[in-house]
Amino acid sequence: MLDAIDKNLLKAVADLETIPKGAYNIRKNGRLESRNVTANIDIVTNEDNSGIDITVAPGTVNESLHIPVILNQVDLLDVVQNRFFIGEDADVIIIAGCGIHCGSDKPEGHTGIHEFYLKKGSKIRYVEKHYAAGPGSGKRTLNPVTKVFLEENAHAEMDLVQIGGVDRADRKNEAELGPGSSLLITEKVMTDGKQKAVSNNRIILRGKDSRAELISRSVIKGNSKQDFFGSIEAYAACYGHLECDAIVMDKGTNETVPALRSFHPDAELTHEAAIGKIANDQLMKLMSLGLDYDEAVNRIIQGFLQ
Amino acid sequence: MLTIKNLVFSVTEQQDDSGEARKEIIRGLDYSFTQGKFYAVTGPNGSGKTTLGKLIMGIHVPDSGEIIFDGRDIVKLSISERAHLGIAFSFQHPARFKGMKFRDLLAIAAGTDDKEVLRRILLRVGLCSLDFLDKEVGSKLSGGEIKKVELATTIARNPRLAIYDEPDTGIDLWTIGPMVDLLKKERHEHGTTTIVVSHNEKFLEAADEVILLKDGAIAHAGTFLETLPMLKDLDLCSFGNICQEVTNARCYR
Repeated sequence: MLDAIDKNLLKAVADLETIPKGAYNIRKNGRLESRNVTANIDIVTNEDNSGIDITVAPGTVNESLHIPVILNQVDLLDVVQNRFFIGEDADVIIIAGCGIHCGSDKPEGHTGIHEFYLKKGSKIRYVEKHYAAGPGSGKRTLNPVTKVFLEENAHAEMDLVQIGGVDRADRKNEAELGPGSSLLITEKVMTDGKQKAVSNNRIILRGKDSRAELISRSVIKGNSKQDFFGSIEAYAACYGHLECDAIVMDKGTNETVPALRSFHPDAELTHEAAIGKIANDQLMKLMSLGLDYDEAVNRIIQGFLQ
Repeated sequence: MLTIKNLVFSVTEQQDDSGEARKEIIRGLDYSFTQGKFYAVTGPNGSGKTTLGKLIMGIHVPDSGEIIFDGRDIVKLSISERAHLGIAFSFQHPARFKGMKFRDLLAIAAGTDDKEVLRRILLRVGLCSLDFLDKEVGSKLSGGEIKKVELATTIARNPRLAIYDEPDTGIDLWTIGPMVDLLKKERHEHGTTTIVVSHNEKFLEAADEVILLKDGAIAHAGTFLETLPMLKDLDLCSFGNICQEVTNARCYR
């Protein structure tokens, strides 16, 4: 049964007020809580019981899949390995996310490894939110790993968000793109207090005319630390762009290391990176529209992470 | 509605001999602005035009002097407090916001996100496409587009006093005429006291009064025709001290 705390976590990470329509798999404290499959989306527990295998039938459109994970069990470090097999020309939305509620001084954590295999011409939009809350002082760890393999003309759009309350995050994103395929990853992470987050990204552009864009937005408050490492490697005539922006507030620190590696003469790779405080001209503008200083800061951060 | 009394503003400047000195940008300025009139502030580069506008908005704090708005000295008020009193400022180089949509910025300015209200503001400033609301106020907007965004957010405030700092920067020649008409219409329909900082003759012609600043003080104030001879006066040329030392110098003004 889902209690009030569980429902709050589900709302935060998956925008779910009630049990979703369509296919879903809700995992609570390392075990299956509930599951629903549809004619086109099948979910089975994998052979070694470490997670689920999801198969989306070719040509499936206008369907969504929810796979939230919630945790409130003291001292549990849950590891889950999920695989997604997306059939040719399918076009689906996948909502994932992990919410931790920590009520004690003992640590709680989740490592979610998600592998995506997209067949020819298929499309996914993947939304993943991470959030931790609760009165306990135990360390909350979330280590998401995302691996994407795109066949010819497949397309993946991934929104990866860490909203707040996570003490340690070791994030990894990897992708390999076939001919004509495209990938857009947007990662938004906010840290505060003494929190630390590291994001490691490696995108391999293998196929001709493949395109990848990786956008990272970081807000670093308090004494927190965020590091971003992004690498795009090109082995064909292709296009890759890396954009990483960090807003540093208070005494936060940041290391941003973008890398472009071209192994083909017709590859076009670009990057832009910036670390800095909120620009004074932005604050002046919003204050001249009637907002006070704190409201102006909040609106700028909200927009930046929108 | 706005009276400036003995206003002084200075900045610290690094000197060649490694010392620091105060440089006065506005030097004891006095002036009274009348409700509902259209003013153009002009003068050579570095004469203090933008600084005067920013002092009225509260973006700069003066060393001394008074700024009386509707009978109240507002010198100690913050930018946002002045905004709530009905003062608006349109920046020469508007800020760009990563991730923020024009819709969000306009909603902050208008104090509502009501679609119909925002649509009416767009029509008022001559932005016909509603799609424009979904554009990000980021680096992808052109110079002309960002100035239109700036203009719209200023007008959306329904200000009692609107200050436009070089509104024609980045705007093509064909758009300046309609922009002048728009500011005149706003003044006429809403009684907005309008101060435009500009070198552009079209704004100077449209003004009830042209204020000519030189070295942080008012050199002359009067109608455009009265001020015209002064504008042509070589004494106002900021390159004078350079070309006067050169034989056969050509004037690039």
